[in-house]
Amino acid sequence: MTTAELERGTPRPAVAGTRTGIVDYLTTTDHKRIGLLYLFTGLGFFLLSGALSLVMRAELTFPDLQFLDESTYNQLFTMHGTGMIFFFASPVVFGLANYFIPLQIGAPDVAFPRLNALTYWLALAGGLIAFSGFLVGGAAAFGWTGYAPLSGAIFSPGNGSNLWIIGLAFAGTSGILGAINFVATIFSMRAPGMSMFRMPVFTWNMLVTSLLIMLTFPVLTGALAMLFIDRTLGGHFFDPAAGGSAILWQHLFWFFGHPEVYILILPFFGVVTEIIPVFSGKPVFGYRGFIFATMLIGVLSYSVWAHHMFATGVVSNLFFAITSLLIAIPTGVKFFNWIATMWRGRVRFQTPMLFCIGFLFMFLIGGLTGPFLASPAIDYDVTDTYFVVAHFHYVLFGGSVFAAFAALYFWLPKMTGRMLNEPLGVTHFWLTLAGMNLTFFPMHLLGLEGMPRRIADYPASHGDWTLLNVIITGGSAILAISVVVLAWNVIASVFMGRGAVAPDDPWGGYSLEWATSSPPPHHNFTSLPPIRSERPVFDARMTAIASRPVGGEPPVPTDPSADQEMVRG
Amino acid sequence: MGRHRGYRRPVVALLAVALALGACTAPPATVEADRVQGLYNLFLIAAAAVFGVVAGLIGWNIVRYRARGDESLPVQTNTNLALELLWWALPTLLVIGLFVASAAVLNTNDAKHPGAPLRVKVEGFQWQWRFTYLDSKVQLTGIPGSPPELVLPVGTTVDFELVSDDVIHSFFIPSFLVKRDTIPGVDNHLELTINQQGTYTGQCAEFCGLLHDQMLFSIRAVSASEFAAWLASQRPSP
Repeated sequence: MTTAELERGTPRPAVAGTRTGIVDYLTTTDHKRIGLLYLFTGLGFFLLSGALSLVMRAELTFPDLQFLDESTYNQLFTMHGTGMIFFFASPVVFGLANYFIPLQIGAPDVAFPRLNALTYWLALAGGLIAFSGFLVGGAAAFGWTGYAPLSGAIFSPGNGSNLWIIGLAFAGTSGILGAINFVATIFSMRAPGMSMFRMPVFTWNMLVTSLLIMLTFPVLTGALAMLFIDRTLGGHFFDPAAGGSAILWQHLFWFFGHPEVYILILPFFGVVTEIIPVFSGKPVFGYRGFIFATMLIGVLSYSVWAHHMFATGVVSNLFFAITSLLIAIPTGVKFFNWIATMWRGRVRFQTPMLFCIGFLFMFLIGGLTGPFLASPAIDYDVTDTYFVVAHFHYVLFGGSVFAAFAALYFWLPKMTGRMLNEPLGVTHFWLTLAGMNLTFFPMHLLGLEGMPRRIADYPASHGDWTLLNVIITGGSAILAISVVVLAWNVIASVFMGRGAVAPDDPWGGYSLEWATSSPPPHHNFTSLPPIRSERPVFDARMTAIASRPVGGEPPVPTDPSADQEMVRG
Repeated sequence: MGRHRGYRRPVVALLAVALALGACTAPPATVEADRVQGLYNLFLIAAAAVFGVVAGLIGWNIVRYRARGDESLPVQTNTNLALELLWWALPTLLVIGLFVASAAVLNTNDAKHPGAPLRVKVEGFQWQWRFTYLDSKVQLTGIPGSPPELVLPVGTTVDFELVSDDVIHSFFIPSFLVKRDTIPGVDNHLELTINQQGTYTGQCAEFCGLLHDQMLFSIRAVSASEFAAWLASQRPSP
């Protein structure tokens, strides 16, 4: 049944059978409501942090300072990075995980629902605290990496910097508690028959991600505590004049910071690995190999942090070069898994799949500029230039954000009971693809021509820089329009109730979230299909077709023909 | 088949753009930068080749296997050990090759040069640079809005001694394809040999606070005799 065939009906509450007032959301311990809170909090910080970047882009269009001063510009890029990493990407990961881990493993909720509520409110408080610096005379202005000694009390006085530290400490603590909750849920609350190697890939990747969070976020929280002590209590951890070490901060920060990159991409690898098989009509190719690659990325991610520090001249560059290059292997393997999943399938180009295909191309480009930065001699040239900015935006925008949009179109019908509008979705996709490449591709060239990142102004004498910056600002305007299209789609389809009513399984899904209503009832399931593979809903659909009486109703889409050969591993 | 070609055109265009990246680095102006440029070109060729293969496979699959109203269930293939071993092996070989090439260039460029180089102390401070010719005590200090010009001879190895007393800065000359941080509490060194006369712009590359964007400087590379004459005309600082 296609969405067009579904008639419009009255909107259902976000959680069937319960009231949905504000008080219910403020007091909820339901994983689905907390998931929605996380997702919309994340989208809110996406709009806020994105708006900051548009202001920066407007300023950078031409040389000279037009309407910002350096002080404001420095706050903008600091809070853009901080907001996108800690208060957009992380909450979206936690929102999707909150909503779909229990559903995918057939559980009624997470292991610790009250802790889960605390986790969300800590994350929201952290974001508000960090951004409240704008209200007290200036937010933090030392970059999202907070390098010492610039982030110390002497060079960055002011409460905005303290609020940044406190906000991040809230986010870090929230992350640790949430990760513990997910690991406990996955290990102890799987439905009968849901063995580890029958778990959907998204849940698998969230397990590895949660373990990464548990081992790296405490390092961040510790480093933040040390910085706070230095700033307010007269400590000297990062003060070279008193026997401390400026480089120590970079080690601690990147020991957290590089695994953080994988914390922000592995869940989205999971998302596209849910969507590509469904829209190709095939199981994921090489399920166990894919999960092994995820684990290997997780392990290797602990050994690569100092590739951010090649130009400091104080780390063992060759060691970190080989570990960083090695991580390209399991990442590259995943591409072959995705390609082989589509091979000889029936690829359907609805919006979730369009964003997955966009993800494949964009993340490929972001992945291929990675080895340049892993090779110290090349990194000496391109680090801290716009080449790096281009690289991590292809990874985090072309990768994580594209996959987050794919997840939104794929799963929002399940979460709200409303389908999103398909033509608007396709428009959103093409605008995002065009805007993203116009914005971020020229940054490679800018970086190669030597434009450093984090500068409020650049000399007019570099002729090319101006041309490239004009193109980049134009691209960012297209991205802004694309976000308006997305926002309108969500508001009109979901909140104004214009979207078609979502069936339980609009896409022909495989995992257990498609075996319950859209949205699912309180405690998720009234009954579960038997779980005998990593695709229980697919199996149930095949069983229903096989047991259909001869001469029954005509086959529905994705039915096998009568003598379809089945290859199962 | 005619309409398939339409899908391939963007891929070809992207490849062309990727190859154009090769021409876009600042032209290398030191002995060391020439080696880095060679390594960069190798990486670029490898990246373009991988992009061509992988993007081509993705493009071919989504075109060839797009749903065409035929709703029968595809064959549910889900594993092939030989294929998987192959796609673990190929990236591994590529990565080993790239590492060996990287190590060779890095070890050559980071090695200490024999003989007595020209020693220049580079001091980054908020928000400008101070350059001191250590053997002649000639000192050049910049102020924001008036960047200093460091004069250096071509063909002589220069040893930059990189220090800072406040926060971390980074000494970056795009045409030399290199930067090195100046870190409080750390004595850093960078050795290079300029092989092209000319004026090269540089600026701080590590964010260092309010006027980071104004930490500009330039390097004028001249012949050895010109350099000697210039240095003799400068007054040593007390």
